[in-house]
Amino acid sequence: MGHTSLEKIIALQRNPANIRNLCILAHVDHGKTTLADCLVASNGIISNRLAGKLRYLDSREDEQIRGITMKSSAISLLYAIGEKEYLLNLIDSPGHVDFSSEVSTAVRLCDGAIVVIDAVEGVCPQTQVVLRQAWLENIRPVLVVNKMDRLITELKLTSQEAYIHLQKILEQVNAVTGTLFTSKVLEERAEKEKEEKEEKESEASGGDQVYDWSAGLEETDDSHLYFSPDQGNVVFASAIDGWDSGMAQFAHIYSQRMGIRAEVLLKTLWGDFYLNAKAKKIMKGAQAKGKKPLFVQLVLDNIWSLYDAVVTRRDKEKVEKMVTSLGVKLMARDSRHSDPKVLLSAICSQWLPVSQAVLSMVCEKLPSPLDMAAERVEKLMSVGARRFDSLPKETQELKQAFLQCSSEENAPVIVFVSKMFAVDTKALPQNKQRPLTQEEIAQRRELARQRHADRLAANQQAENQDGHTHLGSMSQETQSVGDNTEIPLPICSRPPAFEDEGTKETFVAFARVYSGVVKRGQRMFVLGPKFDPTQALSMLSEGCSASDALPAVPHLSCCSMESLYLLMGRELEGLEEVPSGNILGIGGLEECVLKSATLSTSPACPPFTPLNFEAAAIVRVAIEPKHPSEMPKLVHGMRLLNQADPCAEVLIQETGEHVLVTAGEVHLQRCLDDLRDRFAKIEISASKPIIPFRETVVRPPKVDMVNEEVGKQQKVAIIHQVKEEVSQGRLSDTLHVDSSGLVTLTTPNRLATVAVRAIPLPQDVTRLLEDSSELIRTLEQLNMSLREGRRIDVSPRTLEAITELKSQLESLLQGRKWRNTVERIWAFGPRRYGPNILLNSVEGYHRPSVWQCLVKGERSGEAPVVRDFDNSIVSGFQLATLSGPMCEEPLMGVCFSVEQWDIQSSSEPQHQDSVEEDSASHEASGDGTSTAEGTSETSAQAEGITAGPSQAKRRTEAGSVDCYGPVSGQLIAAMKDACRHAFQAQPQRLMAAMYTCEIMATAEVLGRVYGVLGKREGRVLHEEMKEGTDMFIIKAILPVAESFGFADEIRKRTSGLASPQLVFSHWEVISSDPYWVPTTEEEYLHFGEKADSANQALKYMNAVRRRKGLYVEEKIVEHAEKQRTLSKNK
Amino acid sequence: MSIFTPTNQIRLTNVAVVRMKKGGKRFEIACYKNKVMSWRSGAEKDLDEVLQTNSVFVNVSKGQVAKKDDLSKAFGTDDLTEICKQILAKGELQVSDKERQSQLETMFRDIATIVAEKCVNPETKRPYTVSLIERAMKDIHYSVKANKSTKQQALEVIRQLKESMQIQRAHMRLRLVLPAKEGKRLKEKLKPLLKVVESEEFDEELEMVCLVDPGCFREIDELIRCETKGRGSLEVLSLKDVEEGDEKLE
Repeated sequence: MGHTSLEKIIALQRNPANIRNLCILAHVDHGKTTLADCLVASNGIISNRLAGKLRYLDSREDEQIRGITMKSSAISLLYAIGEKEYLLNLIDSPGHVDFSSEVSTAVRLCDGAIVVIDAVEGVCPQTQVVLRQAWLENIRPVLVVNKMDRLITELKLTSQEAYIHLQKILEQVNAVTGTLFTSKVLEERAEKEKEEKEEKESEASGGDQVYDWSAGLEETDDSHLYFSPDQGNVVFASAIDGWDSGMAQFAHIYSQRMGIRAEVLLKTLWGDFYLNAKAKKIMKGAQAKGKKPLFVQLVLDNIWSLYDAVVTRRDKEKVEKMVTSLGVKLMARDSRHSDPKVLLSAICSQWLPVSQAVLSMVCEKLPSPLDMAAERVEKLMSVGARRFDSLPKETQELKQAFLQCSSEENAPVIVFVSKMFAVDTKALPQNKQRPLTQEEIAQRRELARQRHADRLAANQQAENQDGHTHLGSMSQETQSVGDNTEIPLPICSRPPAFEDEGTKETFVAFARVYSGVVKRGQRMFVLGPKFDPTQALSMLSEGCSASDALPAVPHLSCCSMESLYLLMGRELEGLEEVPSGNILGIGGLEECVLKSATLSTSPACPPFTPLNFEAAAIVRVAIEPKHPSEMPKLVHGMRLLNQADPCAEVLIQETGEHVLVTAGEVHLQRCLDDLRDRFAKIEISASKPIIPFRETVVRPPKVDMVNEEVGKQQKVAIIHQVKEEVSQGRLSDTLHVDSSGLVTLTTPNRLATVAVRAIPLPQDVTRLLEDSSELIRTLEQLNMSLREGRRIDVSPRTLEAITELKSQLESLLQGRKWRNTVERIWAFGPRRYGPNILLNSVEGYHRPSVWQCLVKGERSGEAPVVRDFDNSIVSGFQLATLSGPMCEEPLMGVCFSVEQWDIQSSSEPQHQDSVEEDSASHEASGDGTSTAEGTSETSAQAEGITAGPSQAKRRTEAGSVDCYGPVSGQLIAAMKDACRHAFQAQPQRLMAAMYTCEIMATAEVLGRVYGVLGKREGRVLHEEMKEGTDMFIIKAILPVAESFGFADEIRKRTSGLASPQLVFSHWEVISSDPYWVPTTEEEYLHFGEKADSANQALKYMNAVRRRKGLYVEEKIVEHAEKQRTLSKNK
Repeated sequence: MSIFTPTNQIRLTNVAVVRMKKGGKRFEIACYKNKVMSWRSGAEKDLDEVLQTNSVFVNVSKGQVAKKDDLSKAFGTDDLTEICKQILAKGELQVSDKERQSQLETMFRDIATIVAEKCVNPETKRPYTVSLIERAMKDIHYSVKANKSTKQQALEVIRQLKESMQIQRAHMRLRLVLPAKEGKRLKEKLKPLLKVVESEEFDEELEMVCLVDPGCFREIDELIRCETKGRGSLEVLSLKDVEEGDEKLE
């Protein structure tokens, strides 16, 4: 990049009328980057010869290797038509679905777009997506039909056929635009009345403002939206061979040759016209009369004959003739080259250089920043559902600044940052090595000389003083001065951030100035997405700026523009100031901007509407460092990655997993590479994330697996359970399970007995409990403080909420079985606020209910007494609900009803119902409330901790008893076991986490979407057609366990036409019983004795058990006879 | 004594011998390898998949079948299947390679799970995942001992892991209520045992909420119980002090 052109660019930046901000959009592999290459080559940044092969804007290594673009990158180009010089800020965008977030960031900053279409493949899924994106952002597209050479060399079409083919492609594109248009019109019709009103109002409020409402009206007239060569918004090109054919050029050429006016020719060149050679007139109706259309005759035929001569037949003489007739000068080495493509591109690039038509079309057809549509401004400025009119007046005035796009000093500065990208610190211009100017060299020489003198002086001094350290540092400095390529520190003071050796990556914001002039070092407001200008304006004084001390306004912060850059692909050029309408890079924002932000000098500016991402992040993986000690590095790296990628999300889950959420497999791969090589710089491994489950019980099913009435099913199940217990070698003499599912368990020292029954909770109750977990937690805290006799002032609102919860529970828990249950709730679990209930059904035990905070003062005569060891029972329940018997996952929706609880004092073992007395004696024994909360139990198991002060006394009283540990601990264990057994006595089920999955798909791939969903145990809830389009919206439910790889599969199967979005929705009971074995005759008949057909619940359960190292009922070897007999090579 | 000829020999391959001494005699049965443990755990239900042959031997490798008299004398029955089942259930056997491997593997996983449950990353107060712990255990070349309980081994592993990575036992959150008189004196004694004191209130009673290492729980409990003679109390607020909920890295 020469110095002169940089100056020129800076000069051109000041004239917004001659600036074009555009991006190149297309389906993957349609030739965006190649086209960009050609345009870059036109500026002499790369050689023409390399254009199309170099892929200059693909600066990442993996981009070059894979051959796909993965990030959007910008470059500024110059283009001159006649006297007029234009500055083009070109953004190349990726075409792969996974990176459509990058496209969104690019589209936001542009005013126009070049949509590239492969002439052979036509409209592809991503083409539709990018057209929609361009439409949604209100930017104007032009069309480039690329890879025309493939029509000639691969498909071997004749020029006539090619013409028809091209017509079809244009029709396809226009059809897509048409559907976008109709869907918008349909939407608008719904709000039509509102709209009209708004128009009137804004016109009235605008007053003297000049509104170009014709632009708005044009929107309703859809003719100009469509692509057609006679409109001048279509170019046929072959970027790889370096030619294109714009209508204007050909019209220009032939108007001279044939004496037909250029305007007429331009109108008739495309379409059903033919040339009457005799009359030298252009006539209509070529198709009807069987004549060649004008376009074929004048444009395509010429190109075809050139290809024929150069590539197909390699006719040297003819080529030479053509070359001279075209007036092209050929280099000798090109014509001698064995590959005809080289010759071809040499001819083409001079005859019809690709940049010519494309760039002139861009300059003519795409709007400059000055003609930004008012509608677009309003859309950008009105966040969420707020209408533009509802914004404060100061904000509405800013619209004018937008439309003027003025670069005056007093204009408010508005900048939008669409993404942050990481740059190697070394690549920044201030750190780059560059040749020194003459003065600099002289200056250095002077400095070095001075240093040398200093050193000599120091040396002399060192003889009498010990200045050794001083000397050492001095000599080092001189060394660095001697090194000619490095800039000595005193000359260039680097920003402090770069001196940090740890950070090798610097973030640069990818941004555009919408109004005003951004200067280096300027202070600006950073407006968060939730920032509200109304609020800020009321809080801030009039005319304050970002450099003042400010009161704290929510979502508002300040930053200074550390450095400004001109983006030149992988290069950055430092700038002092950037006027409005330009795309730029801003350094030093990494502290205050996460991914995207709005920067402004005026607090009245609203934050821009968030970018609309076509593909949401749905592919989740868990990431771990190879070496566990490198965890902090990983976390740091993931933070950086999160900032650098607009679409990636990173989070730490409660399980301690570091989860990375990306848009697709290719995106994931890129993120992992980035983490490995740039951000974390450690070895990492990605794996399937841990999938949570819940355990629950259900009512005994009425029918068996073959839909027959169940007779003895339940009994069989219990026998099965008991047998299992015995086979696992447990003591069963303290355990008794009766046929109704009541489990009675005695502690090992035979002192206490509990009887517990597990009851499934109705679904609504579970959901209610889950939703109000926060409330239950506060309730629990209240109760705890009440128990200790302390009083906490509770806000009436909380009390109200608790009353509400109680009444809701009461209304949900009705029927004979649940009578009075709400009053008897003992505790919630696990962790005291989970969706399980412990119920007090012990006769003669009235403990204060959990709702005691509601009844204040009105204590009845019979004061509820908390029994000794009450806590142990609760703790046992908490432990049991925290990890269930199936695979040690938490329980959900289970009610444990304690129906009997006897404690015998060890000193008087015969005394049967000494409950009250017993507890009283404990109370008498000095404050002996059991303090050992159940939670200490597991640690007690681990380390043999004995807990509970009351035990000390007991131990001294009856020392022989306690070979089993303290009573409280035993009771906890007994309660836990009783709960587990009671749970197992009921039909157990696994609950799986479910995603709701929204899929947008076109009609033709609907069947395949259903196929993928069906394969992964998904259920379709409903589907509907989006009005005005051929898209279907399908809503389905999918187990989280099956979601790994789901997005990728669905994209592959539908060739990218369906894009799913996954959101966690709820827990759902898996209907199959994991412990099911065939019991009835029909079942035997249907499933066979082994019944080893796929059992989804069993599959999940065993996977979890295996992961946790629990026992899995599985044979080590399936067939005894089929083992290898050799002792080696097992 | 029967005559051994090549024709009436039945050669057994893949033999695992299960032995049992009963009634002063030694009995053996011939089973398939890797199958006896499955039978004992109940996973294998088909006896034919476990036994090579139904007969009971005195010496399997020599092919000496046990005499009927001895059998009925020792077992009280001459039903061979019943005797085989008894020997299978109670006899001693050499654990075969795959059985041992799978047993060690499960124990290894179990240890890792326990460690992951008990420990946190001291920086983030979040647990490590099981797979990370497994990898760390492999890195320090921890070998599982089959005859020690997994919990014991897990505590050992935590100690060893501390040297190579940042890991610590998740702290317990305790609430201590001490009578005012002994409060000051006791606090000094407790101090070395407490990691973090989160809050402290001193009016009629000294009330403290603090984090401790679970290993010290017993000591603290003992101390409070003895020193205050039952007037102080100790309450566990949470067993593990960990961050809850998902956090977005930003």
